[in-house]
Amino acid sequence: MELQEYAGRPAATGGRAPDPVNAPMIRHWCEAMGDANPAYSGPDAVAPPAMLQAWTMAGLGFSGNGNGNGNGSAARPGRSSDYDDLLARLDAEGFRSVVATDCEQDYLRPLRPGQRVLFDAEIESVSGRKRTALGVGHFVTTRMDLRAYDEAAGEKPEEAVRVARHRFRILKFQPGEAEPKPDGGSGTEPPLRPRPVVNRDNEGFWDGVAAGELRFQRCAECGVPRFPWLPGCNACGSSAWTAEAASGEGTVYSHVVVHHPLPAAFRAGGPYAVALVELAEGVRIVSNVVGLPPDGVRIGLPVRLSFERCDDELTLPLFRPATADDLPPLRIPVTRTLIVAGAIASRDYQDVHHDAELARAKGAPDIFMNILTSNGLVGRYVTDWAGPKAVLTGLAVRLGVPAHPGDELTFTGRVTERVTERDHDRLTVAVTGRTRRGAHVTATVRLNVPVPVPRPVPAQENPVPEGPA
Amino acid sequence: MSLTRADRLGGHAAIAGIGATEFSKDSGRSELKLAVEAVHAALDDAGLCPQDVDGLVTFTMDTSPEITVAQAAGIGELSFFSRVHYGGGAACATVQQAALAVATGVAEVVVCYRAFNERSQHRFGAGMTDRQPSAEGAAMGWTMPYGLVTPASWVALHAQRYLHAYGLTPDALGPVAVADRRHAATNPAAYFHGRPITLADHAASRWIVEPLRLLDCCQETDGGQALVVTSAERARDLRRRPAVITAAAQGAGRNQEAMTSFYRDDLTGLPEMGVVARQLWRTSGLGPGDIDTAVLYDHFTPFVLMQLEEFGFCGRGEAAGFAADGGLELGGRLPVNTHGGQLGEAYLHGMNGIAEAVRQLRGSSVNQVPDPEYVLVTAGTGVPTSGLVLGRG
Repeated sequence: MELQEYAGRPAATGGRAPDPVNAPMIRHWCEAMGDANPAYSGPDAVAPPAMLQAWTMAGLGFSGNGNGNGNGSAARPGRSSDYDDLLARLDAEGFRSVVATDCEQDYLRPLRPGQRVLFDAEIESVSGRKRTALGVGHFVTTRMDLRAYDEAAGEKPEEAVRVARHRFRILKFQPGEAEPKPDGGSGTEPPLRPRPVVNRDNEGFWDGVAAGELRFQRCAECGVPRFPWLPGCNACGSSAWTAEAASGEGTVYSHVVVHHPLPAAFRAGGPYAVALVELAEGVRIVSNVVGLPPDGVRIGLPVRLSFERCDDELTLPLFRPATADDLPPLRIPVTRTLIVAGAIASRDYQDVHHDAELARAKGAPDIFMNILTSNGLVGRYVTDWAGPKAVLTGLAVRLGVPAHPGDELTFTGRVTERVTERDHDRLTVAVTGRTRRGAHVTATVRLNVPVPVPRPVPAQENPVPEGPA
Repeated sequence: MSLTRADRLGGHAAIAGIGATEFSKDSGRSELKLAVEAVHAALDDAGLCPQDVDGLVTFTMDTSPEITVAQAAGIGELSFFSRVHYGGGAACATVQQAALAVATGVAEVVVCYRAFNERSQHRFGAGMTDRQPSAEGAAMGWTMPYGLVTPASWVALHAQRYLHAYGLTPDALGPVAVADRRHAATNPAAYFHGRPITLADHAASRWIVEPLRLLDCCQETDGGQALVVTSAERARDLRRRPAVITAAAQGAGRNQEAMTSFYRDDLTGLPEMGVVARQLWRTSGLGPGDIDTAVLYDHFTPFVLMQLEEFGFCGRGEAAGFAADGGLELGGRLPVNTHGGQLGEAYLHGMNGIAEAVRQLRGSSVNQVPDPEYVLVTAGTGVPTSGLVLGRG
C-alpha cells in the first residue's frame, strides 16, 4: 500500500480524554504560559481555547519516543491501527524524527471544568517525499473532531456536543539530510542584515536611532530639511545645520517587493517589502514596511515609525501601517524552564522538548518549544491585548524556525479584519513570533470581542522593557 | 549648473574600429585576457596595430588597468590614460574622453575597452552586503540594511513610482523586452540568438523585484568589447567607414546619487540623462526626428521608457504608448537596440551597444536600418551617465 493511500483512513476512533477538563491542569498550563487571563480561573472559568490539544494528549506512557515505552506497541486510547501502521512504516523507512509544523483550530464552544472531551480523527493526507530544512521526510496531516459532555453534571456521552475542530500537520523526517544551503546559512548563527555604513558625516543619525529618534538635518542658513545626512546643504551650500527628530508620520512614496535573490538575512522570511517613505517633514528615507503582507504596501499608504530590533547589534527605524490596529509587541525570553513547563503542562512528553541530549541525538542543537506552547503563547498574546471578555474562536499556526533555550520570542500582531456585529466585533489578528533566526510562528487568530473594543495602541508608544536574555 | 551652449567637440574624432570577444556565461579565461583580446580585435578591425596606440580609456570598475592591458597587448608608451566612474554610466564617456584627447592632440589613437567575467566571477545581481565608510560607501549604507541591495531593486523603486504616476501596470514594460529579444533572435552573436519572446512570456515570467520581472532584467555576461577612436581625418584613411563622433556628453543631475537617487524630484524621469540629451541636441544641432535608430541602455526595461521621454522622442508619460505595438522594433517608429540590447545580446556595461551603433552606420548590422545617418547611443541609467550621437563618416 502506498503511503498516500492512508488518506481518508481513521487516525483515532472513539477517543476519550484521559481527564475531564479540570482547574488544576488549566492552572498549570496558565502558569507555564504566563497567562494571567482571569477568564481561566474562578467559578465561571473556561479552559484556555489554545489549550485544546492538551486534553486529548495520550500522556507519558504513549509519547512515541522510540525508547520502548510506547510508539504504537502499547494500546494508545483511541488511536487507530491504520495510524499506528502509517507511523511504523515511516519509522521503518528511516523517518524516525517528528516535528509539528502546522495546526488549525476552530473553537465552536468554550470548554469548562467538568466536561469530558471525546474525539475522532482522520488521516487527511500524507505527502510525497519532501526535502525540507530539517531533512527528508513526509508531512502527515490529521483532522480531529472534538465533542464534550458535562460529565460532572451527570450528562451521558451520547449528549456530547461538538466543541472544536483541529487540523494538525507533522513532519516525519530523517535528520541530517537537509538541503545544503547555497551560502552562509549552514552555521547555527543566523545570517544578519547588512550593517549600516557609519562615518563622521552620518553618525548623528545612528546616535539618534540608539536614542529612539529618527533624525534628519535642517540647513541652519536656508532652512531646507535634508536626508540622507551630508555635511553641507545642496540648496545653498551652507555647512551649518541642526538635527531634528522626525515625528514618525509618513506615507509610502514608492515601494518594491524583493523576490530574488533573497539576501541571507531575509531568506527565512521570504519576499519582503522595501519602501521609500516620505516623512511628514518632507524628506524621504528608504526602509521596510512591516506589519502587513509585502504585497499590501501601496503608494500613499500612511505609515508610522517603529524602531525594531533586528538582531543583538542592530535596531532599525522601520515603518508600520499607521491606520492598522497594531498590537503592542510582547517579548518572551525562551528559557529551558518555559520549554519544559510548556511541554509538560500540555502533556507533551516528546523527549526533544525536555531532554537536550536526546534532542541532539535527533539532530536538533538543543531542546525546542513544542507547538502546543507556541499555540498557547499566541493565544495569550492576543487575549492579553483584547482583554478577558474576548473569546477566541479560531487559531491557525504555522511553525518556522524552532525556539531554543536562550532565544527571545518577540510577538507582533495586527488586526487584519474587523466585522462589527450587534454586540461584538469579530476580529482577525495576524500574529508573528520571531526569534533572531527568523519567524518561529506565524499565526492567524480569530476572536469575538464584546463592544466597546479596546483601542489600538501604537507600537512605539509602548516601549517594552528589555527582558532578561 | 550644466552647460547651456553647444560644445566644440563634435566632428573631430571618429570610431575607426570595434572588436569583441564572444559573449558567454563562462569565458574560461581572465578578465585581463578578455580585455587584451577585445583590444586586438578592435585594432585589427581598424587596420591598426598595437604600436599605433598612445591612449587607453576604461571604467573605474574595470579590473584590468590601462598599463597592464598595454603591457599584455604589445602597446608601448602611453601619453593618455583615463578612467570613468559610475558603472555603466561610463560607457559613452570613455569615447568622449578619447575624443577629447584626440581633438586636442593629446593622443592620436585611443582604445576604449571594458572586459569582465560578470557572470562567472563577480555577479552584480548578487547584491552588495558591506561598504567602506567612505562618502560613497555611506551613500549605499542608507539602503543596504533594509535589503535594497541589488541593481534590480534600485531600479524597481523608481519604476514603481513611474508606473503609478502614469497609471500603468508592469505589463507596460513588456514591449521593451520583446523588441530587444526580437532583435537578438536574428543576431548570431547574441546569447538569445533564435529565442524571441512574446508579451505573454514577459507577463508570465517570475518576479525578481516587483514591479520588475525576470524578462525586464538584462543578462549577466562574460566578455570584452573595445573601440578604437582616432581623428575623423585619419579614420577616413583606415580600413572601415568611420563613425564620426557628432556629439558626446556626460551628465549628472542635482542631488545625484550613484544608484540611489530616491531623495529628489518625482522619480519619474532620469534628470542626468536629461543633461546628456540637452547637450547632445545642442552640439549636434539635431533633434529626435533626425535619429534613425538608437541604442538605449537597457539593463532594466523601465529606464528605456524614461529615456525615450528625456530625449523627447515622446512626451512625458507617453513612452509606454510609443513602445507598444512594435514601436521600438525594426520597422517601428524608432528601432532601438538592433543588436538585441543587454537583455538579448550581452551585458557589456553598454560598450557592445556603441559597437552596434558603429555597425549601423557602416551598414553591417544584422538588423540593418535603411541607410541611417545618425545613431543615438546612451550609457548607464539611474547613474551619472553619458551619451553619443554618431554620424555616418
